[in-house]
Formats: sequence, C-alpha cells, structure tokens
Amino acid sequence: MTDGARDRLGRAQAALVAALVLGGPVPAGFHSERVRATAEALVHKRAGAVAQRWPLLAHALGADFLPVAGALLAPLPPGGPLRDGWHVARTLRDEGRLPPGVLAELLAVEAVYRQDGNLRPRRGMTVRIGRDGGRWVVVLRAGRRLLRMG
Amino acid sequence: MTAATLPGDLGVGIGWRPELAHLLARLPGLRLSEVVAENLRPGHLPAALTDLVARGVTVVPHGVSLSLGGAEPVERARLAHLAACAAALDAPLVSEHVAFVRAGGVEAGHLLPVSRTRDALDVLCENIRTAQAELPVPLALENIAAPLDWPDAQMEEPAFLAELVERTGVFLLLDVANLYANARNHGYDAVGYLDAIPLDRVAYVHVGGGIEHDGLYHDTHAHPVPDGVLDLVTALCARRRPPGILLERDADFPPDDELRAELTAIERAAARATARHPQEAGRDRRGA
Repeated sequence: MTDGARDRLGRAQAALVAALVLGGPVPAGFHSERVRATAEALVHKRAGAVAQRWPLLAHALGADFLPVAGALLAPLPPGGPLRDGWHVARTLRDEGRLPPGVLAELLAVEAVYRQDGNLRPRRGMTVRIGRDGGRWVVVLRAGRRLLRMG
Repeated sequence: MTAATLPGDLGVGIGWRPELAHLLARLPGLRLSEVVAENLRPGHLPAALTDLVARGVTVVPHGVSLSLGGAEPVERARLAHLAACAAALDAPLVSEHVAFVRAGGVEAGHLLPVSRTRDALDVLCENIRTAQAELPVPLALENIAAPLDWPDAQMEEPAFLAELVERTGVFLLLDVANLYANARNHGYDAVGYLDAIPLDRVAYVHVGGGIEHDGLYHDTHAHPVPDGVLDLVTALCARRRPPGILLERDADFPPDDELRAELTAIERAAARATARHPQEAGRDRRGA
C-alpha cells in the first residue's frame, strides 16, 4: 500500500545519510551548516565510542584523540566501535604514527578477529608479534584465552 | 487501550546505566527506570537490573535501533529482541523513537529526524502497526532532538505526533529536553507545543541535560539539566501530570549527591505546577 511512499522516502533518507556519514553532497533544501554540524557531531560520537573500546589508544593520543580519530573516521560508514577503532589504530600503525604503548591493544584485536570485515573470531591458536618503540610485544591467543607479553 | 500504561504514579526515576547501578540500588523510593534494549541479553540480565525488578521497580526497555521512521520495513529480529526484553523485565510497556537510523544499507549511528510529510507519516504508521502486532506490551514513541530539519515538512511536529497517535493508538514518551533543544534551535514555542500534543497519551517523560556550543543547543545527557528544561516540566505538569518522569544521564557521571539533587530538582519542578495550577486556572477564567 505504501510502496510508492517507501521508495520516495528511501531515496531521500539515503541521500541524507550519505551526506551525514559518507561525505556526500548536502541534499537540496537542507540547511548546509546544520548538516555539517550534525555530521561533525556523529563523528565525535563515533570517536567517543572508540575511546571506550580502545582505551590505550585514546589515552596515548590524549587531546589529539578526537581530531585524529574524527578525521580518519569521517569518510567511512560507521562500523561500530571495534571496527572503527581498528581502522584508526591500523592506519596510524601503517603511517608510523601509532603512539608508544598502544600496539598490544591492536595486536590483541588482530589475534582474536579476522580482517575480513565481518569481525568473525579466528579459530585455533594465533600469535601476533610487533615492536612498540624499543620493546617487543607478543600476543598469544588460544581459544578464548589471551596472553600478552612485553 | 486506556491512557494508563504505567501503574499509578511512578514519581521521578532515572535511566539504568552500568555506571549508575550502585546509585540506583541505593535509592529506596525508586519506582521507575529504563534500560537501552540493545545493550541487553534477555537471558543474561545483569544482577543489578533483576534486583530492581524484584524490588518492584518498573524498568522500561528503550529501543534505539528499530528505525520505525525508516523507509525499510521493520526487522523482525529487532522486534523479537525488544519483545524478549519486555518479557524478561516484566515491563508494562516498551519505548522507541520517532526516527530513522539507517538508509540505503548504511547505519547512521544516530537517531535522525523523519520528514513530516504524508509519505513519511504513512510509512511510519505502517511500521508502528507491524511493531505493535509483534510486541507483547504497548509501545510509546519519543520525540527526538535534531538540529536538522527536513525542508519539505507539510505539518508541524505536534500535528504530526497527534495524527500518529490517532491512527495507531501508540503512546508518547515526551522528552522535554529534546523539546527544549528543538524549540531553541528552530525558534519555536515549547509551551505551545505542549498545548498541541495529546498529553493524555504521554506514558512517561524524559528529562536530560545539555549545553550550548557554537550557537546550537546540544542535548548531551552529559551535563546538568538546565532551568529551561525544568520550567518545561512545570509547564507540562500544570497541564497534565504524567505517570512518570525519568532523568537520563549517559556520560560524565557526577557524584551521587549531584544526581540525587537533580532528581529532587525535577520533583520540585513538578510540584511547582500543583502550586501554580490554581492561579493559571484563575487566569484562564478571567480571560474567558
């Protein structure tokens, strides 16, 4: 009965969501400044949730956390705090900008989850090793048990 | 369905959060609370929450992901979860929002406003009926705060809500902090809004704090409740006292004493209405 209405509404809502979380153009007629302010608030909310899930990362970046995480998350659709934070930590590592003391948090997530976008837990046993500043960090996972060294 | 979905007068309560569990456990007069349904596993409720239910506190499951205002049909699994939460908490009703949270396969991660058009109203009503058919208890819907507004509105929000209630029999969860935020950010009269919505359908009320930033008022639930929001509690109670009022605090949790003081301030704001009501009635008579 409302198929036509659903189609029209769906297109309009998708355009607004794209403007808010995918950096798409502001749909016609909207107050562009309000759309921008809302998009910014959404990114801050996501970054705040990431800070809860990734406390070492948030603590190490301190006052830089919100702007750094916000800039990295803005072009990506919201993926939840685990995936969003993973993206931030991985990007910083790849660019050599991961602050000291954070690598173990990133390796622990990589030891538990597959990097296939679905956040499926890995099976069997996994070991992740990396250098955090001058120290070696080793994360060992077997089943549900997680062991960090270094 | 009658207007009374909540048993009697539930006073002023506070939303359940893990960080507030200790405070709620030590509020002997507490009769109303609320918990975000998406954070619960109905078969594994936190003991602090089941203790409240055992004490006789009404705990309302509050959904944030149904996207009732969305163009897509409501997902049955989400409805089943909300229904299971209601059963696990023995709740007399559940609540959600007049909002959408996803479109075109993308999650917005936030409650977004619906356009107040005939199309949107038709879709929303259909989604609400789907939800009502699956839920074991009545549904109450909350007005959200949004600095954004759709450019194609065909009616004001009170008329939109009134028609929604009329067509579906849904109840309202009136958030006076959201009303305060929208009235400030969009420049309309919040008290006039109270006069234009069906107050007899308000199941309970939300109160929360916020802050002004860059010329916009943000409903943060992380700051103290401003006087303007408390004034709306008074204005509302002068018209019709709701069955319950609930304080929402989600972050930057202050010491217990500060939250207790906020609960007292809300109680006083509601009580001021009783004191003021005869005068207002008198003024009405003189004006008639």
